Amino acid sequence: MRALRWLLVPLIVVPVALLLLSGFGRDPREIASPLIGRPAPEWSLTTLDGETLAADDLAGRPYVVNFWASWCIPACVDEHPVLAAAHERYGDAVAVIGVLYQDAEADAEAFLRRHGDAGYRHLVDERGGLAIDYGVTGPPETFFVDAGGIVRGKVFGPMTDAIMSEHLAAILPAGSR
Amino acid sequence: MIPTIGHAAILIGLALTAYAGVAFVLAARGSGDRLMASGRRAVISSFVAALVGCAAMVISLLAHDFSVLYVAENNATTTPPFISAISLWAALEGSILFWALLATGWTSVVLWRNRDRHRALMPWVGATLAAVNLFFFAVMTWPGNPFTLTAPVAAEGIGPNALLQNHPFMALHPPLLYLGYTGMAVPFAFGVAALATRRLDEEWLRIVRRWTLVPWIFLTLGITAGAWWSYEVLGWGGYWAWDPVENAALLPWLTATAFVHSAMVAERRGGLRIWTVALVIFTFTLTLVGTFLTRSGVVASVHSFTQSSIGPWFLGAIVLALTGSLTLLVWRLPELIGGGRPSGLVSRESAFLLNNVLFLGLTFAVLFGTLLPLLVAVVSGDTISVGAPWYTAVAVPIFVALLFLMGIGPALPWGTASWTTIRERFALPVILAVVVVGAALALGLREIGSLGILGLAVMVAAIMVHEVVRGADARARGRGEDPLTAAWRLTTRNRRRYGGYAVHTGVLVMAVAVAVSSGLASDVTVTVEPGETARIGAYEIRHDRLVVEPLAADARVIETRAEITYSGPQSGTLRTALRDYPNSAAAIATPAVRTSLGEDLYVTLLASDPDSGAVTLHLFVNPLVVWIWIGGAIVGIGSAFAIWPEPKARRVTVEQAQPAPATASVEGA
Repeated sequence: MRALRWLLVPLIVVPVALLLLSGFGRDPREIASPLIGRPAPEWSLTTLDGETLAADDLAGRPYVVNFWASWCIPACVDEHPVLAAAHERYGDAVAVIGVLYQDAEADAEAFLRRHGDAGYRHLVDERGGLAIDYGVTGPPETFFVDAGGIVRGKVFGPMTDAIMSEHLAAILPAGSR
Repeated sequence: MIPTIGHAAILIGLALTAYAGVAFVLAARGSGDRLMASGRRAVISSFVAALVGCAAMVISLLAHDFSVLYVAENNATTTPPFISAISLWAALEGSILFWALLATGWTSVVLWRNRDRHRALMPWVGATLAAVNLFFFAVMTWPGNPFTLTAPVAAEGIGPNALLQNHPFMALHPPLLYLGYTGMAVPFAFGVAALATRRLDEEWLRIVRRWTLVPWIFLTLGITAGAWWSYEVLGWGGYWAWDPVENAALLPWLTATAFVHSAMVAERRGGLRIWTVALVIFTFTLTLVGTFLTRSGVVASVHSFTQSSIGPWFLGAIVLALTGSLTLLVWRLPELIGGGRPSGLVSRESAFLLNNVLFLGLTFAVLFGTLLPLLVAVVSGDTISVGAPWYTAVAVPIFVALLFLMGIGPALPWGTASWTTIRERFALPVILAVVVVGAALALGLREIGSLGILGLAVMVAAIMVHEVVRGADARARGRGEDPLTAAWRLTTRNRRRYGGYAVHTGVLVMAVAVAVSSGLASDVTVTVEPGETARIGAYEIRHDRLVVEPLAADARVIETRAEITYSGPQSGTLRTALRDYPNSAAAIATPAVRTSLGEDLYVTLLASDPDSGAVTLHLFVNPLVVWIWIGGAIVGIGSAFAIWPEPKARRVTVEQAQPAPATASVEGA
């Protein structure tokens, strides 16, 4: 009995610690997308360069849709080189598409001048319709769509090289990796 | 230059605190007063260091020195000076710096005030507080350096969190809350000291009760100010949403309140020693858990700062504090058991005991609701949230029961109550309550909950008035004083008891205001063109015009504003707006609140059409809300009255003349 009371300490401390510890590496805002396994939303929007681009133009090619904003700091700054690298590496095989999330065009252009413009296209989603279709809760969020136009993955928060290659593997046709 | 001074101050603070800790531990092992005095000086110097650090940060913010990352992320050249200054606590690193200031401040005050007293306890108190302060300085030295520099230096910063710029209450709510949080380390330190030195006696209880009540007042005011801020700023018409961070502030408040009550029993009747010291330990641990939840981004909340690397540090601190103090407690367990005098089933002791059970039950429920999303995520991977209806369902019955106890508890005698006493003290209040509820029914109030709260409130108020009158009457007759003088002397010479009554009155006012405002509030959403009117309750509201323009104080902020004329119980004009901040995705509402003692008219702009000038408004009429804030103020004033130090000369006589148990139910608390 005397020795047993010492068990009290770990009995209280360990569960508390484990529970709180489990919170790390998990974002409470991260919600699995109901879009996964379903056709990607259709769209036709103007890019920052002024040309019109539609989802249909990308048909037959896998693509990555990245919602971002110039005011989303530091997450969008952190992930920017990862997206740029993916665009450079895969070029035409995988289209990387940026989408401005509640952002002014001038601010977005200043962001690209400052942090490097890799040359992939950015859609101006002025009324936020595309963000709503994709169910975006806050930038950055990134969606992976395969060649058949089916959403295969969603990443919440800043992209890293590891996460990028893992998700790209799911949408790249076999043999082109 | 300034940031370098700030950073140096933190490092000096770290060194001083470490030194103080070692000095106190050595002093505790019997190395005498000189080490104690030296440690005390080191603590006071660490407070100065923290002050220099805070000053350096405020200067950097005011000067818009974007070479400091914290300034670049939380300030812009257009930020007004007042907002710049209070941005010290607008984000993670700055608020930790501010915490260090408050924590070292508390430590300095405690050590200085007790420099000639409680010689056995103070070295351990100092050592424990130094350990807590060391944690804050260490966090600022390693994972959360507030003076991290950036290069190249940006020409413009991102600007402060939009929500924090919207209301002057942001200058009040966090400091009050932080004062409460950091102050709870003091009773914890006394708890550790008492366990370490085996001095968990009546003297200890007296000191700790006072040192718990001081931060408790700040915590109470901080929570109330937070609710008020949320009401005035967030634009949803309410003041409490059971947000995880609100809960995090409520949890230590609940356990501290339980402690204040159980300490009274322990002091008066002995016993409950394990219980009281455990409450002190849990209160402190809950402040750490609250900070952890707020600052690590583990739980979703409007308050969450961005995810950062200080989470593991806080987790480490929680584990360390819990393990250390519980180990001490378990070690001393055999010596702490027993010692209370027996008491009857219907007595003040049992009322206190039940009070503690209810407070702890509520603490557990709120903690469970707050951590459940975390637990579910671990077990099943699902994302859930626990909403306000669940909390309401659990908390309201407990609050009602507490309200009931609050009424009868103080009027019950210690020991055992006889039927005569019970009849004498409760008959009149119960009859009064029945009459008032009957009258309310006759007037058309039909809601059970509101009727119940109203009846309880009348009963509790009547009991308290009765108690004061009874005491004053006895005094007036015994000493030949006139009734008013007698009442004044009675209350000022039994500050703890009658201060407690004032606190209870404040709680009562809040309870009635919460019950009525949540039961009888009405709201409606309307879309009106310029010149059109809408009605809510007895008010008529006319939309005059829609204005879109940059804010005068900060041109980067675009305000979309509806200008409105209202008439009814109150009349005048108001402006309700949505503000677009460059660094915020969502527009920030600036609701217009027209307050009167009877009801608030509350108008939020939801949407607008710049072409036609039409606006969509959410209109609320919230009865009695202002009484929640007034009740909070009464609680603050009442508790300050309760702990107000007695004049020195009188304190001596009080200590000499121990009140006899027979007079205990009237004199003393």
